[in-house]
Amino acid sequence: MLRVFDFFAHAKSESLWMAHFCTGCCSLEMAAAMGPRYDWERYGFLPTPTPRQADILIITGLVTKKMLPALLRTYAQMPEPKYVLALGACSFDGGPYNDSLAVIKNPTEILPADVFVAGCPPKPEAIISGMEEIKKKMKKGIPSAASQGGLWREMKF
Amino acid sequence: MEMLFHVVVFPGLLYVLLWTVALFWFFRKFMAALHKRIGPSFNGPGGSFQTLFDLSKLLTKESITPKGVNPYLFSMMPLLAATIAMLPTALIPWTPTITVVESQYSLLGLVVLIGIEPFLLFLTGFGSDNKYSFLGGIRILTQMISMETSFFLAALSPAILFGTLSLQSIVEQSTWLSFWILLPGFGLYFIALLGLLEQPPFNIPDAEQEIVYGFYTEYSGTNYFLLKLAEFAEFMAVFAGAATLFLGGFKGLFFESYFCLFIKMIIVAVFMMAIRASTPRITMKHMLDFSWTYLVPLSLLNIAWIMLAKIFIFGAVS
Amino acid sequence: MEGDEILMQNIKNILTSYETEYVEDYKKVWIKTKLEKSSDLLEVAKALQENGLRTISTVSATDFLSENKIEMNYFFEDILTKRNCWLKCDIPREIENCSIDSITPLFAGADWHEREVFSMFGIKFTGHPDLRPIIVSQDFYDKTPFRKDFDWDAHEENIVENMNMIAESFANEEEENEKKLDPHGSDTILNWGPTHPASGPIRLKVHCDGEDVISIDPDIGFVWRALEHLVTKKDFIGAIVAVERLCFMDNINSMVGYCQAVEEIAGVEITDFAKYMRVVLGEVARLSSHMMGMAGFYNAMGLHTVMMWNMDMREFFLDFLESYSGARIATAAIEPGGVRYGLQPNMLMELQSALDKFDKTKDDIRAIFIKNPTMKLRAAKLGIITPDEVLDYALCGVVARASGVKTDIRIDEPYAAYADIKMDYVTQKSGSSQDRLIQIFEEMEQSIDIIKQAKKHIEEKIESGEFDPIKDHMVKVPKKLPKGEAISRVEWARGEVLMHLVTEDKATSPYRLKMKAPSFNHTMMLNHLLAGETLSDIPLVFGSLYICQGDLDR
Ligand code: SF4
Repeated sequence: MLRVFDFFAHAKSESLWMAHFCTGCCSLEMAAAMGPRYDWERYGFLPTPTPRQADILIITGLVTKKMLPALLRTYAQMPEPKYVLALGACSFDGGPYNDSLAVIKNPTEILPADVFVAGCPPKPEAIISGMEEIKKKMKKGIPSAASQGGLWREMKF
Repeated sequence: MEMLFHVVVFPGLLYVLLWTVALFWFFRKFMAALHKRIGPSFNGPGGSFQTLFDLSKLLTKESITPKGVNPYLFSMMPLLAATIAMLPTALIPWTPTITVVESQYSLLGLVVLIGIEPFLLFLTGFGSDNKYSFLGGIRILTQMISMETSFFLAALSPAILFGTLSLQSIVEQSTWLSFWILLPGFGLYFIALLGLLEQPPFNIPDAEQEIVYGFYTEYSGTNYFLLKLAEFAEFMAVFAGAATLFLGGFKGLFFESYFCLFIKMIIVAVFMMAIRASTPRITMKHMLDFSWTYLVPLSLLNIAWIMLAKIFIFGAVS
Repeated sequence: MEGDEILMQNIKNILTSYETEYVEDYKKVWIKTKLEKSSDLLEVAKALQENGLRTISTVSATDFLSENKIEMNYFFEDILTKRNCWLKCDIPREIENCSIDSITPLFAGADWHEREVFSMFGIKFTGHPDLRPIIVSQDFYDKTPFRKDFDWDAHEENIVENMNMIAESFANEEEENEKKLDPHGSDTILNWGPTHPASGPIRLKVHCDGEDVISIDPDIGFVWRALEHLVTKKDFIGAIVAVERLCFMDNINSMVGYCQAVEEIAGVEITDFAKYMRVVLGEVARLSSHMMGMAGFYNAMGLHTVMMWNMDMREFFLDFLESYSGARIATAAIEPGGVRYGLQPNMLMELQSALDKFDKTKDDIRAIFIKNPTMKLRAAKLGIITPDEVLDYALCGVVARASGVKTDIRIDEPYAAYADIKMDYVTQKSGSSQDRLIQIFEEMEQSIDIIKQAKKHIEEKIESGEFDPIKDHMVKVPKKLPKGEAISRVEWARGEVLMHLVTEDKATSPYRLKMKAPSFNHTMMLNHLLAGETLSDIPLVFGSLYICQGDLDR
């Protein structure tokens, strides 16, 4: 019995599909990570057109006030288990837009991310290695950060 | 006992599953090569475990039933679609000896079972309570009506030529000569097949950029897995149909076996992928135009050609 | 007098017949003037329009708190004869009296620009047909975020309520839509975006009947970062961080535009070497942007091969940028006073390998994707923009040239080293979506040609010792700038970018920076182009207009 469970857990961690969602300029490097030189499909990542089939949500950099409800809604639409990857300085503390009040400075306090990838924008290699970190986390069976807390439950979306 | 083997292993459930995993992998790998990429590579040799993982993951993931849908329709349809899509495998003569259900009218069964599939998919879209899914469903119905006419007509041509509706005897009677006679019919069948399987340039019903994912939009987890299974099982039925009807089925140059049939199916798949990598999607309007002004009249002409050929060439030789 | 001068004189004659503070020449192709009375505006605009200045580039307001006035700036252009007029006038600052006549009834292209000024400064445009807030998120409705006395911090204190309000307003809107529509009809309102696979962060409210589009109302502002406000909090060098984020696909040229404005106010002339470097870097950025633009066009039709092939080439150009600046995308390579770094020989080698890569791939791309019959079937008659519409809606760049309008700031008002480079207008004829694709591709070839010329020039001059690639790249720009005002235009990857920079005395940071970016006008066209078409055509036309949400929202 144990073996069967192991296999499915392994399968889950090895096949990460991401919801197609762009919030900021980091998505440009995310596109490059899909491209021929970095080709993240080698590792089994695949973009899907709808959140219903996705396993991870990528916050690609900045999140504006107007965008936040859409982001949370997308997250809520995803099936369990779901993880969040945050790209770039913006998703951590607002990055270069720290002074701009149209941008939310702490999106990951609202929707906690499992892995942060540093950079502005992070290089494609870094994005892929960030995804690999999520795999490790899943293999260890650590529950996703957003399921443990975060302001997102209290917000309307 | 033998029946059980047929149902569970070959050409039944396990075979379809294996086919799904393998073809999914092959598609991704082949597509990647055309994209100048590598494709799945780190899981298993050549990334061949990747799709196994993907599909098993879908099996164990949460299946969401959105608020407001008809839960019965919503979860029933994928199951039904997968089952119906697997049925044609029973009718196809895989090897000279293995045909699960031998019937005088197996060709009829094959085309009807293939033809009913889009209707089931329409119902999945209809039951999703999502504007995009609904649009996808409507599109699939429109496409089905216009593409199936020529699909049926093209599939009819070997039946007329050989004077039988049994797939087994169609394969047995096929020769090099009949291959050449049926070639235009094969071309038409192939084009109609692209439409029926929603492949580019006819991937209108699940056009990502227009209506998100068509009828797939609301499906997740197991239900999505079943729909994918249905899709790939239908691929198999249609490819095998093409190989049996037009390319001589399990017959090969030197020996007769399942292997020859497989190679032929893969050749059809490769053509399909090459078109997929180089052709953008057309619109509903163009599809209807194309189907009713070119494809259907050509299929009718093809029937006429087959009849003439039967009288003057095929009949004269044999 | 030459022909050009007579034409310029015409504008002056019109202007002097009204009460003006001054009428003066500005740069080669501009006339700058200030009206005494803002009530004259409509008449002047009309007279200018009749004289051929049919295009309004943008409307920009500057808030002078100490003088208790708001200064309006209008930038009229005549794209065909290359004459431009910069018109100013003052209006009172108090919110009740703060209004001016709308020029939208005359100039269709001013529509959204006036709405933007309305949302940012609270200026009412009397006679505007549709004065709703645009870009700003719902919590800024009826407020004046860009005025100097707006208290951002106080606004920010109620962040949670604000956020909930935004979410609620989306929900309310949804409900209202349901109420408005006939429950038995087949009309629906689809939200195309912001999570839609092809849309990017923009929401098109598509009112459709089955598959037929009735009307489209774009809702923009999903990546509004208030860049124009952000730069005022940074110093002149730090501001380039905000300016380059206008859109990352082509960040170099937007920095060039900003730096030229700063240099003009500071009265600094940069070195020839820096000018050529700006050309090279700018064209590389343009190329990498165009590659994504082509990819976007085909992605809209469900074909990702082009994106992959282009990305393959693009990596080589990014390699060059990386070797030059250390960053693939966020290069920050242009600075007031020149370019940030010197040039090492190995960088040019990187550039050469990128050029070789392009030359190797371009024939395949042309054969498979530019001459693609299925693409032609779909795009040849779709989304046609006539030259007249280009002028009226102030379209520019690729879109304008695909309609056969000869406009290219690199030739019309040469900056950097473009005056010394041999180039000509690249145009198409019909202005359909297909032509816009072909236009992008041909401009890529043109860019390659320009890079080759500039590279050769740089190499020769280094050889002969006239350029010192290590030292020549910068001249000093003072930290503190005098009071002044400048505009600078550059041909950005998507078209004309106009930067209007205002500084105070002894300024260490910009007082006001207005960035006019092309996607704004192009998005305005969507309803016009798509009403009556089908749902399938939305992504294609959207993709062919080459819109980037970054410069749409700023
Ligand atoms: S981290 Fe940098 S690249 Fe990413 S969204 Fe923020 S500004 Fe853009």
